[in-house]
Amino acid sequence: MQIPYNEELRPDTGLYNAKLGIWIFLASEIMLFGGLFSAYIMLRVGAPVWPPLGTAQLNIPMATFNTVVLITSSVTMVMAWASLKMNNFGKFKMYMGLTLLFSAMFLVVKYFEYSAKLSHGFTPAHDTFLAIYYTMTGLHVIHIIAGMIVNGYLWMPGSKMWKSNPERFTNRIEVAGLYWHFVDLVWIFLFPSLYLL
Amino acid sequence: MSHDDIQHHVKTYVKVFIALMFLTLLTVGASYIDFDISPQFRSGAIFVGLAIASFKGYMVASEFMHLNNEKKMIYWVLGLTVFFFIFCLSIPVLWEANLMGDTNFEQSPPKIEGGHH
Repeated sequence: MQIPYNEELRPDTGLYNAKLGIWIFLASEIMLFGGLFSAYIMLRVGAPVWPPLGTAQLNIPMATFNTVVLITSSVTMVMAWASLKMNNFGKFKMYMGLTLLFSAMFLVVKYFEYSAKLSHGFTPAHDTFLAIYYTMTGLHVIHIIAGMIVNGYLWMPGSKMWKSNPERFTNRIEVAGLYWHFVDLVWIFLFPSLYLL
Repeated sequence: MSHDDIQHHVKTYVKVFIALMFLTLLTVGASYIDFDISPQFRSGAIFVGLAIASFKGYMVASEFMHLNNEKKMIYWVLGLTVFFFIFCLSIPVLWEANLMGDTNFEQSPPKIEGGHH
């Protein structure tokens, strides 16, 4: 059985089904991260001193670099979609490859950041600040890895669809892009909340 | 969307990218400035930091996620999400606010002199 409204727009919503689906999924993601941001606010408001005395000093230059990397990956992602809209498959390949490269760079920096903290005994159990820091950034890292798996599939084996059904493939890239921009959006709020304020 | 429309979008993406880079540096720079107006109002830096982050978030959502020109259905989904998020957040916040100054409440967090909320 064929899944309906992959390319053509559904008359009642004015959208193809996958686009409505990803937005409903992103709504659940807003509640997920929103719940953690609420927990962060409550911990912070309830603490006599924030961050707690004796906690780890977060590395601001590393996090700033990662912010630049993730924003750049968001731009290359949207450029990958725009390239397909302009019928330029070669440029799509280049921009999607760059998106994956920047995603990997983000993870490498995060690895160095985590290992520096953990090697000094700053585990999630150390204090409430580190507990919420590892929970929020860890969940974000899982989202980055999930995005890389999807983007990697669409970059290599999944890109065969461009030949058989270019419109559906372009829609897939748009949907993957919406997820990726959301991951970027979450980091835009995580960065100042955890590292700067 | 025509080829020209996409070309126009691409130019916007580049402008937004430059703006996001600038605002990232501004966020870091602003964190080193003391924005506290008075000892009673000590949330200046938080306000400035989150205001810049919100503007960056707005640019990503409106331009990269095309929320500046979307179908009604998506605005409904997001509107309901924001409503329920604020509703859920307000429950513990109001609970906490209700306990402030209640010295008889056993679980009230201890007040430490010199500490700030």
